[in-house]
Amino acid sequence: MKVVTGVVGNDIHVVANRLIELSLNARGFEVFNLGVNTYLEEFFDAAVETGAEILLISSLNGEAEGWSREVKLLKSKYKTLDNLVMVIGGNLVVGTASAETIVPKYKKYGFDLVFHQVDLNTGLDTLEEYLKERNN
Amino acid sequence: MKEVNEKLLIDVGSTYFKVSTASSIEQHLRDFNKDILDDLTYKCGEIIHGYDKDDIYICSSANGGLSTLIIGITNSFSLKYATNIAFNSGINIIDKVLYQNIEDYSVPSDLIDVVIVVGGINSSSNIFGEPLFSYLEKLNYSNIVYVGSEEEAPRLQATIQNLVVLPNVIDNKLHIIEEHLKEYLTNLYQLDIVGKEDIKNLYTITSNQIYPTPYIVNKTLPFIDTKFAVVNPFILIDIGGATTDIHYSKDLVDENIVTVNEYDRLVFKKLGVYKSKESLIFTAKNNEFVYELLTYLKVTENIFEEQSEKALKVLMQLAIFLVLCKMSHYKQAYINLKLLSINSIVLTGGITKVLADTEVEDIISFFYKKILNSSHNPSVVMDHDYDIWTLGITNNKG
Ligand code: B12
Repeated sequence: MKVVTGVVGNDIHVVANRLIELSLNARGFEVFNLGVNTYLEEFFDAAVETGAEILLISSLNGEAEGWSREVKLLKSKYKTLDNLVMVIGGNLVVGTASAETIVPKYKKYGFDLVFHQVDLNTGLDTLEEYLKERNN
Repeated sequence: MKEVNEKLLIDVGSTYFKVSTASSIEQHLRDFNKDILDDLTYKCGEIIHGYDKDDIYICSSANGGLSTLIIGITNSFSLKYATNIAFNSGINIIDKVLYQNIEDYSVPSDLIDVVIVVGGINSSSNIFGEPLFSYLEKLNYSNIVYVGSEEEAPRLQATIQNLVVLPNVIDNKLHIIEEHLKEYLTNLYQLDIVGKEDIKNLYTITSNQIYPTPYIVNKTLPFIDTKFAVVNPFILIDIGGATTDIHYSKDLVDENIVTVNEYDRLVFKKLGVYKSKESLIFTAKNNEFVYELLTYLKVTENIFEEQSEKALKVLMQLAIFLVLCKMSHYKQAYINLKLLSINSIVLTGGITKVLADTEVEDIISFFYKKILNSSHNPSVVMDHDYDIWTLGITNNKG
C-alpha cells in the first residue's frame, strides 16, 4: 500500500521523519517521503501523483495546528482524494494540551487518525488495524 | 581542435543580428524585406566569405519560440516539472491545464506547437480518460508527447494519434527526470527554428548545427567566472527585442526541484524593447511604482511616445525593473527567486551597448529599496562584448 509522508510547514525536525520512513518500509508499505518543510498542497499533490491510499503527516514543532485548519477546504478541491486515509502525529500543539482536547479537534479538521505524542510503533499498529477494518 | 579565434559566430535575433570574429563584433538591424541569408550576406558578405563552412557557428532566437500546452495532474509535480523542462528547452509560450478541471478550461484557438501530457509515477494507473480525449479532439496542435506514468501509456497510445511516448519525467521518489523530454523539445525547437524563419538557408554557409540562443547562453553559465567577476548566486538578464530572458542559479529557488542543471531560465514573452515595446509600456503603466521610477529617472510618461536614445534607455531600465518585480513577491511568474540572496546581476545583449553601468545600478538599487525595502546591492556585471554568447557557442561545439 502506498503512503505519502512528510513534516508539515516550516518544521525541520527530521529524526522522526526518517524513522517513520524506515518503520513504514519495514511494515511493507511503499513510502513516498516528502521530508521536512512540506506544504499541504504538496502532500495532496503527491497523493495524486502516486495514487497513495494513505497520507501520514508529522508535526514536531506544533505548527500543524495552524495548517490543519486548511485541510478540509484544500482537500475538497481535489476530485480524486475522497478515499485518502488521513493520519497525523507528533507534537500537535504548541505548548501543552491533553489528547482529549486535541484529538477531536483534529478529527474535525479532517483527519481519520490522530496521534498526539504517541509512540510511533503504537501509532502504526493502530493504523494497520484501522486499514484492516476499513477493508472488511 | 581549432582555436576559438578562427571561428565566425552569428546570432540571429528578432531585431538584430550579430556577427562576431576574433577581433570584432558587428551588430546590424535586420531588414525584414529580405531573406535572412540575403540580409546577412549583403551586410557582412565579405567577412563570411573569409571563413570555411566548418568554422561558422550560428544560433537563433528569431522565431520567438514554440508554443506548448501542458496537461498535468498536479501543480507541485507534473505541471511544475514539465514547465521547468519546457522553459529550459527554449520554449517560452506555455499554457497549463490541471487535468482534474480540464472541462472548465477553454480550448485555445491558436495552433499549439506541442502538447505535453504528464502525470503519475510509473505505478500509477487510471489517471487519464475521456475528458482528456475530448479536450484533445477540440484542440489544434502539431505534436503531442506523453511523459507520465508508464502504466497509462499503452491506453493513451491506442487512442491518441501520433502520440510520442517518452520516459516519465517523474521518478519513483517524485523527483524530476529531465533529459528525455528536454531532448525531444530541444529538437522540436531546432526543427522549428529551421522551419519558421528562413533559417534553413543559413545551412548554405555553415556545416554546424544551428542552436537556439537561450540554450547556448544557459550552457555558458557554469563557466561564466572564467570571463567575469561573478559571485554565485547570480541572475543573468537578457533583454531582447521581443522577450526578456532571465537565467538564474538554482540556489535562488526554494522549490526542491532536483535537476542536473545548475541554472534555469525564465522567459517574459511580452517584455521586449522593440517588437513587444507596446506590451512593455502597458505592463509598466500597470505597475504602481513605475511613476515614481520615472520621476526618479527624471522623465515623464511622455517618454513613452518618444523615439530617442533616451527613450530606449528608459524602456530598458523599465524592463529590468519589471522583470525583477515579476520574480519577487508579485507571484506572477511561475517561480519566485530569493532576490535578497543574489550576489551578482549579469546583463547581456543589446542593453550593454545602450546603458551605462551606473544607469543599471541605479535601477537595481531603486528596485531593492522600493520593492524589497532593502539596501542589498548586488554587483552589476555587464557583458559588453557578448562574451557569454561567444563562450557558449564555441564551448558547445568546440
Ligand atoms: C532535536 C530538536 C531540535 C533540533 C532539530 C534538528 C533536526 N533537524 O531534526 C533543532 C535544534 C534544530 C530544533 C529546533 C527547534 N525546536 Co526542537 N527539538 C528537538 C528535540 C530536542 C528532539 C527532537 C527529536 O529529534 N526527537 C527524536 C524523535 C525520534 O522523536 P520525536 O521527534 O518526538 O518523534 C517521535 C514521536 O513524536 C512520534 N511521531 C512523530 N511524528 C509522528 C507521526 C505519527 C503518525 C505517529 C504515530 C507518531 C509520530 O514518533 C517519533 C518516535 O517515537 C525536541 C524535544 C524532545 N525531546 O522531543 C525539541 C522540540 C521538538 N523542539 C521544539 C521547538 C519549539 C523548536 C524550535 C521552535 C526552537 C526555537 N525556538 O528555535 C525550533 C524549530 C525549528 C523548526 N523550524 O522546526 C519543541 C516543540 C514544542 C511544541 N510542539 O510545543 C520541542 C518539543 C522541545 C520542547 N519541549 O519545547 N529542535
